[in-house]
Amino acid sequence: MKSPNLRPRNLGEYVCSNCTRQLRRQRRTYATTTLASPSNLDIYDIVCVGGGPAGLSLLAALRSNPLTSRLRIALIESQSLSPTRTFSLPSTQFSNRCSSLTPSSVRFLKDIGAWQHVQRERVQPYSEMRVWDGVSGTSIDFAVPEQEMGVGGVVAYMNENLNLTQGLLRRVEELGGVEVIEGETVENIRLGSDTTNGDFSSWPVLRTNSGRELAARLLVGADGGNSPVRAFAGIESRGWDYERFGVVATLKMEGEGWGGNARKIAYQRFLPTGPVACLPMPGNHCTLVWSTTPELAQKLKSLSPTDFVALVNAAFRLGVTDLKYLHTLESGQEEEVSWREQHTPFSAEQVPQKVVGVQEGSVAMFPLKFRHADTYIGQRVALIGDAAHTTHPLAGQGLNQGQGDVEALANTVSYSVEHGMDIGVRMNLESYESERYAKNHLLMGVVDKLHKLYATENPGVVGIRSLGLRAVNRLDGVKGFFMRQASGTGEKLL
Amino acid sequence: MALGLNRHLLASGLPKELITACTTTTYQYPRHFSVLNRPLPNYEGHVPLTRLEKTGLAIGSAVYSLYNPYRADLIAALGEATATPYFIYRLRDAMLSDPTGRRILRDRPRISSKTLSMEHLRSLPENSVGRTYVGWLDREGVSPDTRDSVKYIDDEECAYVMQRYRECHDLYHALTGLPIFREGEIALKAFEFANTLLPMTGMSLASVITLKPTERKRFFQIYLPWAMDNGVKSKEVINIYWEEQLGRNVESLRVELGIDKPVDMRDIRKKDRARRKAEKEAKERSGDSLGIN
Repeated sequence: MKSPNLRPRNLGEYVCSNCTRQLRRQRRTYATTTLASPSNLDIYDIVCVGGGPAGLSLLAALRSNPLTSRLRIALIESQSLSPTRTFSLPSTQFSNRCSSLTPSSVRFLKDIGAWQHVQRERVQPYSEMRVWDGVSGTSIDFAVPEQEMGVGGVVAYMNENLNLTQGLLRRVEELGGVEVIEGETVENIRLGSDTTNGDFSSWPVLRTNSGRELAARLLVGADGGNSPVRAFAGIESRGWDYERFGVVATLKMEGEGWGGNARKIAYQRFLPTGPVACLPMPGNHCTLVWSTTPELAQKLKSLSPTDFVALVNAAFRLGVTDLKYLHTLESGQEEEVSWREQHTPFSAEQVPQKVVGVQEGSVAMFPLKFRHADTYIGQRVALIGDAAHTTHPLAGQGLNQGQGDVEALANTVSYSVEHGMDIGVRMNLESYESERYAKNHLLMGVVDKLHKLYATENPGVVGIRSLGLRAVNRLDGVKGFFMRQASGTGEKLL
Repeated sequence: MALGLNRHLLASGLPKELITACTTTTYQYPRHFSVLNRPLPNYEGHVPLTRLEKTGLAIGSAVYSLYNPYRADLIAALGEATATPYFIYRLRDAMLSDPTGRRILRDRPRISSKTLSMEHLRSLPENSVGRTYVGWLDREGVSPDTRDSVKYIDDEECAYVMQRYRECHDLYHALTGLPIFREGEIALKAFEFANTLLPMTGMSLASVITLKPTERKRFFQIYLPWAMDNGVKSKEVINIYWEEQLGRNVESLRVELGIDKPVDMRDIRKKDRARRKAEKEAKERSGDSLGIN
């Protein structure tokens, strides 16, 4: 960056002697190849904080690409990775944290060689999605056309998050060459200083709780919603809390689903308190994601298994008034639901099959938020996944947005390497941000508006939204457009 | 949607895809069917009507019952034909939101001379709900069995709600203390309209034009404001489990529901009559005296 005629000697009269000395020292650190690390400072091209799906995908993507496989990479994860490494459950049990992977995310995971390491018998593709309005009953069906069924036509894949991270970790370990620092937290991140070994004054230097110091040419924040990396970079994350909790559970159903094993169906009903979804898992299992108010979520969690199962069945079948009343009961939901089902008109095949049980200890809850960072990049900093954005789970897009970020960032880094550019400089990261920001923002905006549109019982709004949904359901072109957008295979909008 | 829908549609020979495409909503009943293809009844006594038939029934019964308000069958038909869409569902949901309302829907009690022993009611204390009720029945010479069964509401549960409203009507008289001649009936209908929102009760208010001028003035000045105020602010009267309240003091029930007893209509009318009579006599007297002079 320095121009050759800017010799420190010539600056004497404008710059104080202290700074002149610094400038002189900097000249000596010109060639990076001669960098010798001080005793406790490790220098890396990329330090990734956070070993979740986004962080691990990034490592696998970088290591599997010949252009970027020579980069010196470190991963810092505050938790131990051994539960991920050893994740193994019998085929009748499933972890309660599941996500949907769009065909586009799965294509990326195949590209980076991670998909083959995922336990495929625990992944459930589904080819139909039924969504309906809990107040008016208007519904919309997204189904893969029959002719595409045989050739892998799917709406999305349901997968346990642990199964995905395990596959990614296996791939990363297969590729090797990544310094994995697990079970250590990042104590602080600051800018480095100008040392005799090199000028790290624009480099983030991380210090772990074991006293290790890592300097990063590019620091990647994949460290979730409360990202320390984002805080270090001084990037504000804006948004709001939905005042809703997502209640998750692994459910046991009475059968494999109305379409059998070959044609699994995902169901989502929009209730005024939030959407409730029943998503297919292998065999007779489903995973539940029920967004509801904090009080009701607490209530759901405290119910006995039989009453919980009854209330989940009711959530897909009974009227809004009945559900409200059922929530006020301390117990005895089961008896009440079986009475109401006799007097509530619904078609058994249009709703999920009966839930017959809930996996012990699988009921959990988490708060729902909308957060979007002001920017994804800074000087020598990039944010991916939840560190950059947090969205409502109603469209099942959170994890897929993270995968999209990873692919874009890996491509950006690869481009910089190929062209001999510094991978950490902000300008060279711009293409990552420009590719992802608007896209994510649009999707998050749509999801947010859907949540708000369906969070009301106002008859006027219900009428208009039902009319709109019916119209979309009849217009195959419009429906196809939404389907392709949701699966990540659609026309490029931004 | 009910299986009934599919059964009838499948019989129509339409392609299966088309039927599935048209049945994306969770309505229980076919929204359109022809008179030649009338579905089976959903409950005993049910007469499924097309939309056109319902409209015709509503208009016909409305016009004719205004002409002859003693045709209770027409008023009943009007009530059923106009209860859907929305209104009867709203009333059902009001019952479902209330523990007692839910109990009523679950037990489905019916009020008739078979279920209520008149002797037992007569043995109850003076100001009890049951005694007041049987008082009405005796004075008007009617029995609880004179209520028609609901026929034209498609949903069997909503049909019960309508039936319950109808059978409880006389008890509302007891509750509000309004008499059953035309003026009191209209005031009670206004109260019911504000409380239940059933359109028929609102339409009945049209018969206010058949009242005498003094009665009409009294209705607008006293009873209509009372009905609107109390009907809106009190609890839903449909949720009263009357069978359990018969021995209770009417006044304490009123307090619980938040209803103020209106000015006694019989008293007002008696006083009004007495005043008019006195005025007339006074006029006659002054006329006489004029004649003498």
